[in-house]
Amino acid sequence: MKPVLATLFLAGLAMVLFRMPWTDPEASRSVRFPGEEPVLAMTFHHNAHFTVACATCHHEFVDGTTGPPCINCHVTDPTVAHRLETQFHTLCRDCHAELASDGETSGPTRRCIACHLPDNAF
Amino acid sequence: MMTARFLPVAMVVTVFALTFLATFRLGGGWVWDIGNGLGFLAVAGLAIQMFPAARTGIRQRHELLGYWVLALAFAHGFWLLAVDGVVRFYLMPGAPFYMWAGLVALIVLSALALMSHMPERRHWHKSRAAFRRLHRALSVGVIAATGLHVTLSGFYLSRGYQVALFVLLLGTAALAPWWMAPGRPARALQAPVAVFLSCGGLAGVLFVLIRNAAP
Ligand code: HEC
Ligand code: HEC
Ligand code: HEC
Ligand code: HEC
Repeated sequence: MKPVLATLFLAGLAMVLFRMPWTDPEASRSVRFPGEEPVLAMTFHHNAHFTVACATCHHEFVDGTTGPPCINCHVTDPTVAHRLETQFHTLCRDCHAELASDGETSGPTRRCIACHLPDNAF
Repeated sequence: MMTARFLPVAMVVTVFALTFLATFRLGGGWVWDIGNGLGFLAVAGLAIQMFPAARTGIRQRHELLGYWVLALAFAHGFWLLAVDGVVRFYLMPGAPFYMWAGLVALIVLSALALMSHMPERRHWHKSRAAFRRLHRALSVGVIAATGLHVTLSGFYLSRGYQVALFVLLLGTAALAPWWMAPGRPARALQAPVAVFLSCGGLAGVLFVLIRNAAP
């Protein structure tokens, strides 16, 4: 019993500490945006979101300014940086989940890797 | 009068039915829902385990089902870690509380199994009474941590009333040793493992199919 459980927990620890060889090497934190904070990548395509009003996401458009890409502020600005995950999961994931609940086409509701790979284009 | 088969079937049906009360189309995709189907099956098994066993040979069923619950809980974690390379970041510093609750549940469940396994049990507990006290306390702890893990992650049980019913179900199960047969060993309600696994497998398949293939 003891050796079995010890093996399982060590295997689990290894899977947390090291990326498994079969998963995408980009599924990782790195410094991708201005600032020193390493964060996960984001997949986002405007053409999948043409039905959504710009200002739903671009709150910085409302006062007429076209600011830098979202993440520039949201990773570096100390007033929001610590809420990056909550704010973006609420914006992106919750919209997808609500649409999916109604049986409509939506983006990823939960699967992390569907949103957290670099798309290199937007 | 409840029969031994009734309990596992009722528990599996109730747990999975709760996830379908609202937002039954909402899933995370095939691989994601398979992982969480395993998790809900572990929850159902855990709840069944709380119903007291008679002193006869039935107890072996309780022990056997215990290993199955542990295996399902590990499978739930390993599956999600294996199929999605980002999940591991939710077991690193900064991860949400509900993930730590899930980890605590798994660790305490493992300790529970380890400390009840027969040759070792004598080493851990001075008397039968001491064993029973600790075994019950730890299992209530596992249920509480599991409840937090499932309800606070707030995906399949997305509405308030689903959460309330789920908490009621877990609470009823967690307190079963007290309300069912205060002070004396209860009737033989322990689940035949084969019934649990076949009924649970079917429920799990439906869980994944409905969320991903419903028109
Ligand atoms: C609908 C898309 C979407 C899904 C699904 C999603 N995320 Fe995110 N997540 C984002 C966005 C967008 C950000 C903010 C930008 C960024 O960090 O890349 C973010 C931020 C984060 C952050 C904070 C940034 C960091 O590196 O610390 C973490 C951690 C995170 N997500 C983990 C997860 C995990 C784990 C899952 C799966 C359980 C998940 N996410 C699922 C879109 C998503
Ligand atoms: C669903 C959310 C969403 C919607 C709707 C949306 N965008 Fe964006 N937009 C983003 C995100 C996220 C980025 C940053 C992409 C990146 O860093 O990969 C971005 C980046 C941009 C950029 C480049 C960086 C910047 O902020 O100047 C422009 C320009 C832009 N969007 C214009 C628009 C316009 C015009 C519309 C409406 C037709 C629109 N977007 C609708 C989320 C959205
Ligand atoms: C110029 C810097 C800047 C840019 C660019 C920017 N944000 Fe923000 N964002 C902020 C700040 C600051 C706040 C906090 C506002 C507050 O709390 O009142 C915020 C708040 C938010 C919130 C939380 C809103 C709420 O109601 O809680 C979301 C979601 C968000 N931003 C998404 C985005 C997205 C998506 C983009 C890009 C399309 C973006 N932001 C671009 C600075 C920025
Ligand atoms: C108001 C609703 C809404 C919001 C907000 C939203 N999405 Fe989506 N998203 C959609 C819809 C609808 C689709 C499905 C489009 C399709 O397949 O036709 C989608 C699809 C996607 C997809 C898969 C399709 C693709 O080409 O990449 C990704 C990834 C995605 N969204 C990421 C994001 C991220 C990241 C954000 C936050 C910055 C976000 N979404 C915010 C509605 C939304």
